[in-house]
Amino acid sequence: MFYRMLAIILMLVGVTFAVPVSAQIAVIVNPANSVALTSDELTRLFTGRSSALTAVNLAESSPLRSEFDEKGVGRSSAQLKAHWSKLMFTGKGTPPTELATEAEVLAYVAQNPNAIGYVNAASVTAAVKVALTLD
Amino acid sequence: MRKRILALSLAVALVPGVHANTTINGFASIKAGITTGSDEQLYGYDDTIDFKNESLIALQVKSDLGEKLSVTAQLLGRGNEDFDVGFEWAFISYQLTDNMTINAGRLRTPFYKYSDFKDVGYAYDWLRVPQGVYGLGFDSIEGVTLYRTAQLGSIDSTLQLVFGSYEGDATISGVKVNANIDTVTGITWELAKDALSARFAYLSGKTSIDTSSVTLAPGFTAGNLYQALNANGLAPLVAAIDIDDESSNFMGLGLTYDDSDWIAVAEYTRVEVDNSFIATQKNFYASLGRRFNSLTPYVSYERENNDAVVSIYQPYTAVLPPQLLLPVQGLIASQERDANTWNLGMRYDFHPSAAFKAQFSSEENETNGQRNGLLAFGVDLVF
Repeated sequence: MFYRMLAIILMLVGVTFAVPVSAQIAVIVNPANSVALTSDELTRLFTGRSSALTAVNLAESSPLRSEFDEKGVGRSSAQLKAHWSKLMFTGKGTPPTELATEAEVLAYVAQNPNAIGYVNAASVTAAVKVALTLD
Repeated sequence: MRKRILALSLAVALVPGVHANTTINGFASIKAGITTGSDEQLYGYDDTIDFKNESLIALQVKSDLGEKLSVTAQLLGRGNEDFDVGFEWAFISYQLTDNMTINAGRLRTPFYKYSDFKDVGYAYDWLRVPQGVYGLGFDSIEGVTLYRTAQLGSIDSTLQLVFGSYEGDATISGVKVNANIDTVTGITWELAKDALSARFAYLSGKTSIDTSSVTLAPGFTAGNLYQALNANGLAPLVAAIDIDDESSNFMGLGLTYDDSDWIAVAEYTRVEVDNSFIATQKNFYASLGRRFNSLTPYVSYERENNDAVVSIYQPYTAVLPPQLLLPVQGLIASQERDANTWNLGMRYDFHPSAAFKAQFSSEENETNGQRNGLLAFGVDLVF
């Protein structure tokens, strides 16, 4: 009984804290895309300063999102939201479409030759191409 | 942040055959303030706490009609106008090329770096944009504007040309009066590289402000004064005082440093209205903030320096009878302003879509020796 309870507690703790603290993030593009992506261009794409590719984001509730905001764009999620509200309420830009899951990002990028997104490096499939890996 | 709705039925009703994609977003600010003394007034607050003065709520509807055409309307209600809703922005937008867009309709006059989004408190750290610089008015114009973005080597360039006119209110000596600015023509240019950005703005136009209802003494208005001066054969003096189709110009310079830890902003502006009693206004502010995760404390300093145009009446001091000279002097002196303001505040991002802010402002008015302190706090959010 005690061991079962311990196991349940460990499981709960595990569920709560098993979120990877620092996952490798793969920036993915369509396999047809031969772009040589720099981290500078990645920032430009995800801040609306470049529309060379169509960026898709993970939803704000996704833990990978805030990690990507920091590592890929170099800003906190709140700073980026402030940035996009500047553009949005002055008619100068629309933030990247948000998709709920990594599976949706993978499917979107696989289907759209012009798309760019990101997923956990472990989730990458053969249907997409890794353009940049963020540690 | 975004509530995207595919308003298919609506779109079909509005634009037959076009598959429009409509997004609705909004922002709101709920702010409260109280001055630090019973004889102090600042930015519309006094010594009783007020939750209405700077609060506002806005809804923006943008409909993408495809083929690079979109229409945007922003409905905004301000607490100090009893939340009466009006169109703050209403324009159609057409993307000419990948880096060129033309907007036409009701637009924000691009005087300052923060003009376009000064109502969107969530977009910046301060509780309010620095009033010493941003308090000019004439916020919206009807017209057309062209944006052009470019990359000059590693520098991002944004050029904006604007043409239009203003028709609305102006505040003169605390009185709301009718104002027009015709043939507003302007250019703004912003250059950004890494953490650094610089902005230049120049706008000109023909300003007319109906000052006749401004009270100079009990039962004596500026209109009465102009009549009396004209009756005394002093039409040239009236022409030198009143604001009737006068050449006017605005110049603004801005510098920003934002490396995502530190944020420093400074803006300098100069406003001139020729042949009128309006003083040349030379104002600036400088602000420094430091981000500690979700907490951003900041300090800023504002300076306003408007010298009354006493040269208008100097040739007439010997000619004018005192009952006319005094109101002329009074009207011109009313434009004198020499003030310094210190602000100390913080932004706290307590929620993914909302920020709590608190700011203490202390204005020292050198012209009348009055000091005004104001404590304000509130929440800015986007949805």
